[in-house]
Amino acid sequence: MNGGDEQHERAIEPGFEFISPRFEEPKFPMHQVWGYAASLVLTFAALWMTVNRIMSPSVLLGVVLAMAVGQAALQLGVFMHVRESRGPAWHLVPLGLAFAIGIGLVGMSAWIMLFKSGVS
Amino acid sequence: MPALPSFVPYLIHTLFPPWVRRPTEIGAEIMMTAGGAFIVYWLLKNKKLQWLWNEWLTTVDHKKIGIMYLVAAIIMLGRGGLDALMLRTNLAMPTLHFINASEYNEVFTTHGTIMVFFMAMPLIFALFNVVVPLQIGSRDVAFPRLNAISFWLFAFAAALFNLSFVVGGSPNAGWTAYPPLTELAFNHTVGENYYFVSLLMTGIGTTITGINFLVTILRMRAPGMTFMKMPLFTWATLNTSVLILFAFPPLTIALLESLLDRVAGTTFFGLAHGGMPMMYVNLFWLFGHPEVYILVLPAFGVFSEVVATFSRKKLFGYPSMVLSMTAIMVLAYGTWVHHFFTMGAGPAVNVFFGLSTMLIAIPTGVKVFNWILTMWGGRLQFTTPMLYFLAMIPTFVIGGATGVMLGAVPADYQFHNSYFLVAHFHEVLIGGTVFGLLAGVYYWWPKMFGYKLNDHQGKWAFWLFAGGFWPTFIPQYWLGLEGMTRRMYTYPFGMGWHTLNVISTIGGFIMGAGFLVLVSNVLRSRLHREVDATGDPWDGRTLEWSIPSPAPEYNFAVIPTVDERDWWWEEKQRRQSGEKPAGPKPEDIRPIAIPKNTPVPILLGAAFFLGAFGLVFTWWPVALTGLAGVFGVLIYSWFQYDHYRILSAGEIRETEELLGRLGA
Repeated sequence: MNGGDEQHERAIEPGFEFISPRFEEPKFPMHQVWGYAASLVLTFAALWMTVNRIMSPSVLLGVVLAMAVGQAALQLGVFMHVRESRGPAWHLVPLGLAFAIGIGLVGMSAWIMLFKSGVS
Repeated sequence: MPALPSFVPYLIHTLFPPWVRRPTEIGAEIMMTAGGAFIVYWLLKNKKLQWLWNEWLTTVDHKKIGIMYLVAAIIMLGRGGLDALMLRTNLAMPTLHFINASEYNEVFTTHGTIMVFFMAMPLIFALFNVVVPLQIGSRDVAFPRLNAISFWLFAFAAALFNLSFVVGGSPNAGWTAYPPLTELAFNHTVGENYYFVSLLMTGIGTTITGINFLVTILRMRAPGMTFMKMPLFTWATLNTSVLILFAFPPLTIALLESLLDRVAGTTFFGLAHGGMPMMYVNLFWLFGHPEVYILVLPAFGVFSEVVATFSRKKLFGYPSMVLSMTAIMVLAYGTWVHHFFTMGAGPAVNVFFGLSTMLIAIPTGVKVFNWILTMWGGRLQFTTPMLYFLAMIPTFVIGGATGVMLGAVPADYQFHNSYFLVAHFHEVLIGGTVFGLLAGVYYWWPKMFGYKLNDHQGKWAFWLFAGGFWPTFIPQYWLGLEGMTRRMYTYPFGMGWHTLNVISTIGGFIMGAGFLVLVSNVLRSRLHREVDATGDPWDGRTLEWSIPSPAPEYNFAVIPTVDERDWWWEEKQRRQSGEKPAGPKPEDIRPIAIPKNTPVPILLGAAFFLGAFGLVFTWWPVALTGLAGVFGVLIYSWFQYDHYRILSAGEIRETEELLGRLGA
């Protein structure tokens, strides 16, 4: 449900519809319950797979990274209410930049550290 | 004679092991104790304790926090400089054992760490705090209390780090603290614990500062100040804050995991159980390279203000300045591997990062050309800040060019860890950062204190400092090419390194003399101050010069509406022509809410200090007491509701009247 602010009189530019105002006030936080359960599953599944080495290390790295990204999205969306805003949700734009930098740094670190000179 | 309780010899042995009972350490101990005792005596004698607590220790005013950062940074510059002179003295002659090998390791470690984390960073935050809110027409930073927390975390971390010199032993693995040398198996003293714990502490403060200034600049600009009307120093602060936000998390992880390796028996970076020492290097430089730009972008911002003011022209190529600074900010995240090409990650990786390194020279070159073109056709005034700017151009160009040489991968295998590298990074960090920050200190000093630093003495300090800089570091390029590696504590006869090292040491002492003249410049200018009543002694261009110096606690009686890039410059023309009244109208003044002083930040810092000290010696009860203290202070602060006091319009009118600021 949209908050009753005057701010969104200004029309959202085309292409920026994803920042249009949106605000939810459910009676029971069902989303959060599911989100909490899903975070626990993702965390312990990653730990279990790593401890038991159920696949080859490079595949495992990919799977764990994917689960980490999913976990981050879950935390931001469910617990930090990142989509919600009474006015235009401008914070989504720099958040995209943050993701780009984060993924770049993690991805390039993985690339750098996959070298096979037997140092470690 | 009754036997001592058994913990007394244990304490003496742990806190004062043999390696802190050398003459230098005992001398420092006596000096620190005597100095501390004198300060306490002076405060008690003059009944200043209450004043100190109310005016400074509990303040949340960004201007006072900035001044405290400045004082701390100058003290740390002295300590780091003393370390540097000890190193240079040891290298003046072959086989000169002024200090021994292990002491040399400790001194170069503390020199680097202090200069980067406890001198350059606080000096940058001093300028952020003093300048940015005034420059954007704001009454304070976005989170004044968090700002004070940042400062006290830094201050207690700096105290903790310096304490290592006399209690327990200094860290000794270099400012980069690479494993496996930092692992417990190879390094038994508590020195590295001090390094990790104090850097973690100051890192929390730095991250908070980054967030604080990011929000301040995004949300609290004066009406009409669009992004492309922001002063360049504010742009530099914005970019630096973004760099801090993304660069400090990898450092935190690297330091935390190294600390766990030492105190909790993990092997993140050990050689056993699949530990990966090179991952530390990767994480450290993920932080370390953006850190280089965290250090230099504020200096770029200062130079952009200084060159425009003292050329009496608007900055040449403002949009390209903004664009190049932002490009540096983005590219800074893509070059970190050039610090460890010799790890051997393979040609593809090395070439990628070699090219990205060279790419970053382009926006930097754009900035240098823009500064030079700003001077073109201007009426130059050779004040002390301007001299630092002019001295920066050749040093930064040479330092930058040798940086590109280091970025060439095959050549880097030769230059790596040689004195060529040492010369390069000192040339950019002193020639860029320190010159820039000193220029900023001289430039904004009247805004902080209400009087200028004496220009004649300032020029003496400048010529000694910048003049000593060249003989110190230029010979080191040749020393590197002749095979002298960094961090060697002595060298034999017959290597051909003697003459160049002597020159370098002499240069170092000239710089030390420059620092002493700088300090005497500060003290003498304070004793014989020539009060500046105008608030605008340099005929400045940006908002901070439109208010009295030092700024009243509410900064702006009426927040101006900005319509030009160099708003104050244009406003002065309008006021002279009588188009606008010279100052705020009394009827426009409204009551202002001022954040109240709070003891929370300093108590939080003290609790962190106690916990960190316990962690250093792995005295878990002490560490947990500190942690409980942190939570205690936080809970106390949760139940404080009344954060603001209201300054009435009448009081503000009176203050403005006294300052002669009210327009008709």
